[in-house]
Amino acid sequence: MMDPLLEQLLAGFVDEAQEIYERVARSMMELEKAPAQGASFDELARGLHTLKGSAATLGLEELADFAHRMEDVVLPLRGSSKPLPARLSDAVLKSLDVWMARLRAVAAKSQLPDLAPSMALLETVKPDAPPPAAAKGRKKKNGKGPSASETLAATVARAPEPVSPAAPAPAPVPAPAEDAQADSWRVTTRQVIALLHEVERLREVRLRLEERRREIDKSLQQLDRLGIQAETAEARSVLLGIRRALGADGEEAGDIVASMEDGLKTISTMPVRTVIEPLHRAVRDICKATGKRAKLAVVGAEVSLDRRVLEQLRAPLVHLVRNAVDHGLELPDVREARGKHPEGALAIRVEQQGNMLFIEVSDDGAGLDLEQIREAALRRALVPPEELANLSTQQLHQLIFRPGFSTKAEATEYSGRGVGLDVVRNQIQALQGHVEVQSVPGQSARFVLSLPADLGSSPVLVVRCGEHQLGLPMAAVESSRGARSKDLRVGRARVQLEHREQLIPVQDLGALVGLRQPEVPAEGQPLLILQSQGRTTALSVDEVLGDRELVIRPLPVEIRELSAYQGAATLARGELVLILRPDFIVSSERRADTALASTRRALVVDDSLTARALHRTALETGGYLVHTASNARQALEQLRHSAYDVMVCDIGMDEMDGYELTAAVRQRAETDSMPILLVSARDSENDRQRGLAVGADGFLTKKDCVSGRLLSEVSSVIARRKGAA
Amino acid sequence: MKVQPREPGGFAPELNELLVRRAQRIRQKPAEAEDENVLWVAEFPVGEETYALPLDTLRGAVPLKMVTPVPLSPPHVIGILRFQGQIVTALSLASLLGGRGWREDPAVLLVVDPGFGRLVALDCERIPKPTGLPQALVAEARARSSGATCEITLAGTRQVSVLDLLRLMDRRGGQEKR
Repeated sequence: MMDPLLEQLLAGFVDEAQEIYERVARSMMELEKAPAQGASFDELARGLHTLKGSAATLGLEELADFAHRMEDVVLPLRGSSKPLPARLSDAVLKSLDVWMARLRAVAAKSQLPDLAPSMALLETVKPDAPPPAAAKGRKKKNGKGPSASETLAATVARAPEPVSPAAPAPAPVPAPAEDAQADSWRVTTRQVIALLHEVERLREVRLRLEERRREIDKSLQQLDRLGIQAETAEARSVLLGIRRALGADGEEAGDIVASMEDGLKTISTMPVRTVIEPLHRAVRDICKATGKRAKLAVVGAEVSLDRRVLEQLRAPLVHLVRNAVDHGLELPDVREARGKHPEGALAIRVEQQGNMLFIEVSDDGAGLDLEQIREAALRRALVPPEELANLSTQQLHQLIFRPGFSTKAEATEYSGRGVGLDVVRNQIQALQGHVEVQSVPGQSARFVLSLPADLGSSPVLVVRCGEHQLGLPMAAVESSRGARSKDLRVGRARVQLEHREQLIPVQDLGALVGLRQPEVPAEGQPLLILQSQGRTTALSVDEVLGDRELVIRPLPVEIRELSAYQGAATLARGELVLILRPDFIVSSERRADTALASTRRALVVDDSLTARALHRTALETGGYLVHTASNARQALEQLRHSAYDVMVCDIGMDEMDGYELTAAVRQRAETDSMPILLVSARDSENDRQRGLAVGADGFLTKKDCVSGRLLSEVSSVIARRKGAA
Repeated sequence: MKVQPREPGGFAPELNELLVRRAQRIRQKPAEAEDENVLWVAEFPVGEETYALPLDTLRGAVPLKMVTPVPLSPPHVIGILRFQGQIVTALSLASLLGGRGWREDPAVLLVVDPGFGRLVALDCERIPKPTGLPQALVAEARARSSGATCEITLAGTRQVSVLDLLRLMDRRGGQEKR
C-alpha cells in the first residue's frame, strides 16, 4: 500500500516527467542532425539528470538507475563535433519510452514494464561497445530492427521482474517532492469550472454597475432639462457623487475580473505545444520505419487551451500526422522525380478566433487520390457502386472518415487497418467540433479541425444588421473601411471589392443570415475585411457598434447545429448577442447565390416575435423563402431593395400601422401590385373593410392563422392579383 | 399501560378548547392526501384552446421582449434568452403543436424543465393560472394518448389539453437532441 502523500506526489511527478521526457526526446532528435554540444546537449543532459534525481527522491530506485544508464550512454559524447549516432539515439529514445511507461504503470499501480531489455539495449550502444549479438539476433529478415512500438509492446507484455542493480547515489537536485508539497494543490476540474462561472457572474455584476451609471446619467440629464437648477442642486450633487463612486467600483470590479480570469486561465489551460511537441518524435519514428523524410513545422503552438480539450486532441493529432507521413508524403526519390524537395513538409497551424480553435494539419505530399478512394470504398462495400459514381469530390473526401475505410490493401504498422480518421472525426465531434479536408491531387492535403474553446473572454466586434446585433471575433477582423463605389466591382451574381490590389468577394451580412436579399453596399457603408482559413472576404454591415471583451458561451442544443454561430455572449444590459463564425462568412459565397435562386418570396411584417415565427413556419412549409420585418419602416426599407411575391402584414403596429404601410406600399410604382394579406388579432368587419379600402387583397384574423389556412389565403391573394392583372 | 392525564382534574377550559380544535384538525383529511388526487398545473390559452402543463415543470415566467432572435434558426425557434445564468431557447408553442391560430400576440415566456437536463422556454398568450386537475382523469387521458397532449374533459364540458413536454420536444425530431 502506497503512502497517500507519496501517491499524490507521484501523480504530480508523472506530469512533470512527461514534460521533461518531451524536452529530452526533442533534444535527442535535434542532436541526431547537429554536433553533440551546445544548448540542445545541455537540455538533454539536464533532463536525464532531473529524471534520475526526482525518481530517486520518490524512492523509485529502479527508474533512477535506468536514467543513470541513459546518462552513461549519452554524456561521454558531450562536445563531439559529430551528431549522435542513429543507433544510440534510437536506443535512448526507446529506453525513454519504457522509462515513461514504467513510471505511469507505477502511478497507476498496473503491471510494470520490464526494464531489462532496454538496459541490455543501452549496453550495446555505450560508446566503444561492440555491436550487440542480441540485437543482431532480433533483426528481421528484411534487415530492419524492431520498431519502437514493438520494443515497447514486448517490454509491456512481459511479467514484472525484480530490478536488481543498485543505483548509484544521485547527485543533489531540487527535490520535487518538497516543491510539490509546498507549491501545489490538487483541485478537481469541477471546482475550477465552478470558479469560472463565479467570475462570469462577477463580470455581469460589473456590467450592471455600468448600466446603473448610465441610468444616473439619464436622471441627471432629466434634471437638467427640467431647468430647476437651484432646487435640485443638492440632489444632483449626490447623484454625481454616486455616479463617480459607481465608476470607480466598476473599474475595480473590472480589474478583479480580469485578474481572476487570467489566474484561472493559467490554472485551467496549457499551451497547445504540450500535445504538439511529442509529434516531432512520432514523425521521426514513422519516417525511420517507412524510409520517408519529413520536417514538421508548427505555428501557433503557444495558444493556450483548456486542459481537458487538449487531452482529447492528443490522439486525433497523432492519427493525422501519422496519416500525413504514411499516406500523404511520397518516398524521397519519388518526390525528387516529381520536382519536389526530397524532405516532405508537414505543418501544423493553430489559430484561435474568439472561442473557436482551428488546427490545421497539412502536408505537401500526393494529396487524396480520388480513384483510390473509390476503389477502397467499393472494396470495403462502404457505398453502393451506383451511388459512388454520382459522388462529388467533397463527398468522396468525406468517405475517408467512414469506419473501416483505408486505401491500403494490407495493414502495416502505421495504417491499413481502417482505424484512424473515423476515430479522429468522432473525437472532434465529441468536442462539438468538426473536421474538414481539402486536397490538391499531387500537391497537398489539408485537414482542418475546428472546435470551441470556451474558457475566458475574448475580444468581439459588435455590429448591427437591421434590428439585430451580431458579434464577430476580433481575431478574424483584419480592418474596417467605408464602401466606396469606385472600389466595388458589381457583377450580375456577385460584388467584389478592390482591396490591397486584389479583388475580394463582398458579402452582405443581412443576406448571409437570411434577413434580406443581398444588397450592394451603399456609399460609406461599413465594410469589415475578414480573414479565416486563409481566405479574405469583405463583409458589409449596417453599423459597427464597437469592440467588447465578452465571454462566448455555447448555444443551447436546439440551435447548436446552426453553422453560422459559434456561441452567444451577454452584453452590458444583459441582452444576448450571437457570435458569428468567420469561417461561415468566408465560405458563404455559394450559399448566397443559392438563396438568390429561390422562387417564391414572402415578406412578413409583424411587431410580435412569436407571430413572425408562426407565419414563417407556415409559409416555409409552403415553400416560400421568408424575410421578416418587425415594423413598417424596416419593411419599406426591405421593399426598396428586394421584390416579394406577397406581403403578410400585421395591422396593430406602433408608429406606422398595417393600414398606413399598405397605403404607402400601394403608392410606390414597384410595389403597387404586390399582393398584401393583412392579419389582425381583432376580428372586426370594420378592420376588414378598412384594410381592403387602403389596398390590401385579403384579411385574416390571427386565430385563423392555422398553417393550412394562412397558406391558402396567401395563395388566393396572389391568384386574385394575377387575375386582376 | 394506561396513559393517565397529567392533570387529573381535567384541563383548563381554554386548553381543552385548543385540544379539541387540534383533534378536529387531525381528524380531517390531510392536505397532502388531497394533493395526491390532484395534479397541479399551469393553465393558459393558445388561440381558442386551453392548455396546461404540470406545475412542477414550471421554472419561471419572463417577458417575451427579453428574447434575442436567432436568424437562420428553425421556424419554431423564437430566439434565445438568459435565465438564471443559462442560455435558454425560446420556442413557439403554437408552432410545436403544428401551427395553431392565436388570439393575442404572446407576451410571456414560460421557462420549463421538460426533464432532460436543460430548460426551454415556451411562448404564452397570458400569464398562466395555477389550477388542480383530477389526477385520475389525467392518468386515464395519458394512457389513451400517444401524442404530445392529452385531452381532459372537466365538468361543464370544459376541455383542457395537458402537455407532455418530453413528447412535445421529441416532435422536433432531428432538429433537437437531448
